[in-house]
Amino acid sequence: MIRGKSAIACGVLASIHGLALVANFAAPYSFAAQQREFAWAPPTSVHWLDRHAHFHWRPFVYGTNGADESRMYPLRFFVRGASYRFAGLFPSSRHLFGVDAPGVLFLLGTDGFGRDQFSRLLAGSRISLTAGWLAAILSLALGTVLGGMAGYYGGWLDDLIMRMSEISLALPWLYLLLAGRAFLPLDAPSSMAYLILISVVGILGWARPARLIRGLALSLRERGYVLAARTFGASGPYLLRTHILPDAAPVLLTQMALLAPQYIMAEVTLSFLGLGIDEPVPSWGNMLAGVQHYHVLTSSWWMLLPGIAPAVVALCCFTIADALAGRRGVVPL
Amino acid sequence: MIRFAVRRIFHAAVLLVLISLCSFALLQLAPGDYVDAMRLDVSISPGTAAALRSRYGLDRSLPSRYFSWWRSVVRGEFGVSFAYGMPVGSLLWPRMKNTLLLAAIAAIGSWFIGILLGVATAITPSRVLEHVIRSVMSALLSTPDVLIGLALLLLAVRTGLFPIGGMGLIDSGSTSARARDVAAHLVLPVTALVLISVPVLVRYVEAAVRDALRSPFIQAARAHGIAPWRILTGYALPAAANPLISLFGYSIGGLVSSSLLVEVIMGWPGLGSLLLESIFSRDVHVVIGATLVSALFLITGNLIADLLLYATDPRIRVER
Amino acid sequence: MNSSLAHRVSAKAPVKLFLRLSVVVFLALGCVVYRVPAEEYLVTSAAPGKYGGDLVVAERSEPKTLNPVMAVENVSREVIGLLMADLIHINRYSQQTEPALARSVDVSSDGRRYVVHLRQGVKFSDGYPFSAEDVLFTFQVYLDPKVDAPQRDLLTIAGKPVLVRKVDSDTVLFEFAQPYGPGERVFDSVYILPRHLLLRPYTEGKLNDSWDLKVAPAAIAGLGPFRFREYVPGQRLVLERNPYYWKQDARGQRLPYVNKVILEYTGSEDAEVLRFENGGADVVSRLSARNFDALAQRRNPSEILIDAGPSLEYNFLFFNLNDLSTKNLRHIESKQAWFRDVRFRQAISSAIDREAIVRLVYAGRATAIWSQVTPGSKLWRSANVVSSPRSVGKARTLLASAGFSWNQAHKLIDSSGRPVEFSIITPVNNSERVQMLTVIQQDLEEIGIDVHIVTLELRTMLSRITTTLDYDACLIGLATGDADPGSEMSLWPSGASAHFWEVRPTAPPPLWQIEIDRLMTAQMSSNDPRERKRLYDRVQELVAVNLPIIPVVSPDVLAGSKAGLRNFKPAVLLPYVLWNADELFWGARQ
Repeated sequence: MIRGKSAIACGVLASIHGLALVANFAAPYSFAAQQREFAWAPPTSVHWLDRHAHFHWRPFVYGTNGADESRMYPLRFFVRGASYRFAGLFPSSRHLFGVDAPGVLFLLGTDGFGRDQFSRLLAGSRISLTAGWLAAILSLALGTVLGGMAGYYGGWLDDLIMRMSEISLALPWLYLLLAGRAFLPLDAPSSMAYLILISVVGILGWARPARLIRGLALSLRERGYVLAARTFGASGPYLLRTHILPDAAPVLLTQMALLAPQYIMAEVTLSFLGLGIDEPVPSWGNMLAGVQHYHVLTSSWWMLLPGIAPAVVALCCFTIADALAGRRGVVPL
Repeated sequence: MIRFAVRRIFHAAVLLVLISLCSFALLQLAPGDYVDAMRLDVSISPGTAAALRSRYGLDRSLPSRYFSWWRSVVRGEFGVSFAYGMPVGSLLWPRMKNTLLLAAIAAIGSWFIGILLGVATAITPSRVLEHVIRSVMSALLSTPDVLIGLALLLLAVRTGLFPIGGMGLIDSGSTSARARDVAAHLVLPVTALVLISVPVLVRYVEAAVRDALRSPFIQAARAHGIAPWRILTGYALPAAANPLISLFGYSIGGLVSSSLLVEVIMGWPGLGSLLLESIFSRDVHVVIGATLVSALFLITGNLIADLLLYATDPRIRVER
Repeated sequence: MNSSLAHRVSAKAPVKLFLRLSVVVFLALGCVVYRVPAEEYLVTSAAPGKYGGDLVVAERSEPKTLNPVMAVENVSREVIGLLMADLIHINRYSQQTEPALARSVDVSSDGRRYVVHLRQGVKFSDGYPFSAEDVLFTFQVYLDPKVDAPQRDLLTIAGKPVLVRKVDSDTVLFEFAQPYGPGERVFDSVYILPRHLLLRPYTEGKLNDSWDLKVAPAAIAGLGPFRFREYVPGQRLVLERNPYYWKQDARGQRLPYVNKVILEYTGSEDAEVLRFENGGADVVSRLSARNFDALAQRRNPSEILIDAGPSLEYNFLFFNLNDLSTKNLRHIESKQAWFRDVRFRQAISSAIDREAIVRLVYAGRATAIWSQVTPGSKLWRSANVVSSPRSVGKARTLLASAGFSWNQAHKLIDSSGRPVEFSIITPVNNSERVQMLTVIQQDLEEIGIDVHIVTLELRTMLSRITTTLDYDACLIGLATGDADPGSEMSLWPSGASAHFWEVRPTAPPPLWQIEIDRLMTAQMSSNDPRERKRLYDRVQELVAVNLPIIPVVSPDVLAGSKAGLRNFKPAVLLPYVLWNADELFWGARQ
């Protein structure tokens, strides 16, 4: 079952999601806080050995983002910083770690406004992860319903649903997204607009899981116990609900583990093309969009680092999917 | 077999018509049209803009525009691009050739590497090698396409080894010089596409070969004492070919669509970059034309896969 | 017998020969004198150069057409400007007019009649001679309502199209319905079309379909420095030297110097820079400030980077001042009480940290502006517009005097206790404006205002500000093609097509708007430059005080070229670097 590599993967995923939940607490700065004098600053180096080769138990940073070696700012836990609402419930201003002002701690550097990339990465994980799971759930739900019906009932319904799936795979979904973006009222919070957009992407993606579920339903409906239930007068929907779908559960779970990272990647692509969430809210995608610019590409290499986050999540999900699929052979992507 | 092919072609034609209908309908959802952007150009008066709008038929109703689009399709033009003032067909064709060149070479490359690595993973006795290949492929699969493209771009900028952007094709010089120039410009986009598509292929190939190797007839062959290499090439691979052929069909369409991102990042003058620009400038006939072309690739890919399967796998013929 | 005949023939032969020769010479002289006038050249003042080499220009979008009547975006216009010529040309560097195809112009004292004397002996790029017939044909085409050329609006003054009459084979008379402020500037970019190639399409009604990018090089000809050679779709457009070009340098060498101009299509500004760095392009223009700095830091000795100073582009914030009574937009209508108060707008303007925007967004390569006329327009900028540095205190005082106050959470509330918040829309494709909004958002937060930034796709945004009117505030940038206030007529008078902040004006308009209308109309029909400047100065002052728009910054014109290119002088009028393409040459080895 779940052991070895997949256990590690589960652990990593759980911690990433946990961090996302308490992003405001875990991040040393607020995602929108601009420190304009530190624009385009490279990552702060954290030291244990000082200039005189003395070892300090508590790691520290040098002043002015490492330039001023005469001042040392030790890393502290549970520091006071910008206030926020913990898990959206009660206000707090304690952060997991940080350094006292005027020292700065930019673990992943800063962007053009002096905003800490590490804090933005954590805040962005909320947006990107929610987007991925939401789209995956929607696409899987719709695909299961339609694919199950197609496979079980067969005939013209099957043909119709399969042809519809081919259409939806070929349509310019980018256009639909432009339209979706345009019709949302202005005072809808941008995160809401974005989630609606992602839902549309998820709904449009029903075709691929539908084909899979259809194949499954096709094979399952000929099974002995299903035939037996039919002779007892069980109706189609009853059979689907009680017998076929539960057997399909492992496949569905695997699909879920495969779809979520793919939709997270889709979000990255969308933001890259300019359809993502608005300033100043970060997402993994729109943090990468800035790398297209020549000056970022050549002088600010740390702006590429947020791309590792979706890669890690995808890797863990694929590992879990592999483990779930077990020896059933190829994991259909 | 002929009846099968004809039925599928008929289905494909109906599908393309439906896609064109849906696309036309969808295009109206987003407010604004091509001519709107001219509001920001203060030298163009609203009168000129309105005249332009009626010249392009943008003030007519949707059904009337759809019908005149059909008339243009029959003439072979597939509508007129608002931006270029040229028939869409003559705009798409050269770009399509560029994308096909890129996709074909990337397909050959990724299938070659995919089969190599997939078979290697399936048959190697060394757990280490198997593990290494699997991990590298997993890492590649997990990396966002955008990141792969950007990282390659950064590499190219830093080393200055490969030309970035465009297709080369200096007009002076011999054919071999031009071919070498195009090849140099192909390196970056093809590498990106191969890196994006290889991991999935390796998975499938590995799974298919593994499955084939586990089947009873292979064990029987082994019991007969047939040489392992002969078993692999003569028995296992042909059996593994079935799922791979369907995959090949699907991958043609997929390759064209993933080339969109690569074309945009690397500046390859193909269909994808034209499509994106037309979407943002609301050049609707170009968008529909390009959508139909990519749909055509997808459907053709499926059709080829089905036909190949029919031709090569006797089991399907028996089922029918 | 034979010898006497031979004698007679040989004695008369020299005379006959002489007669024949003189007839030939006389005829030839007649041809030369009466049919083929000597070529008149325009002598340029730029440094003389030498021939040879190709010029590769990186462009971020493709030209879409070669037809002057159909060209509506900048790259197409740029290419057409290389292929064709006008009667009077505005020198993009000095911003003054110069004679071009016209040798000289006589203006009547009332400023309504222009007698244009054409340059003689000029030929099109296919060798066909140029004459007044081409000028007449050109203006007939541009003014024809069936053609719907954008040039028609520019040539329609006080509602009447300009009258064009041929005086003789190289003189043409133009008559305006009333004196025209910009004067002979109207002729700039009104490119002369070849009658011998376009008459037939025009009479058949097919002029608008001619000269797309698939045109055969033999079917297109112009009077510009280059002629069309080849178009490779999605990649490049190739122009070659026009051997009949009518300009020469001080040493008598016929321009242009380079053999070919190759416009390479790259797709985006960053791709342009990559191509420039990679050696694939020789010239790159309209660089963003950050990319410019990144290039400058590499200190590549084979590159020259030039900051030509502030452009004519001005970025500004405006509020929705439309009459929304017929629309169902209650939530915006209720906010208009704030927007319409001039003290509110002045407070916003005071609170915006323009210097921070210049520093952060443009790395110092921009200028803060307080009126719509930027420092790039040296001749028209009013000295009376005061540049007021950022002052949060002044903003607070203004807001307090307008009835606003601050609540416990330091948020701004109006007189009825509503917290002040609004959204600003901007097109998504310009990252610098989005960054500008991020700074503005933080600046306004300091005086207690919550601002939401909404990026929209360009046409969607335009639809909101021109049709549905569903927006609170908007940040865009505009650039007119010419510094002359004539090109701003579509902006300032109420009811003008680009009068975005008040597409549906409320009645009655405020006094200052009425005054602006009067001033703009007056300067258009005055032909005294000093008077026009006085009038337009007043317009700038009214805008700066009443703030129908809140000007923010104007970015610099940034361009780069390879080190061997000479006479490279980026200007602040479009086209920034190719305006003198005929004078560019390669000094060192290419």
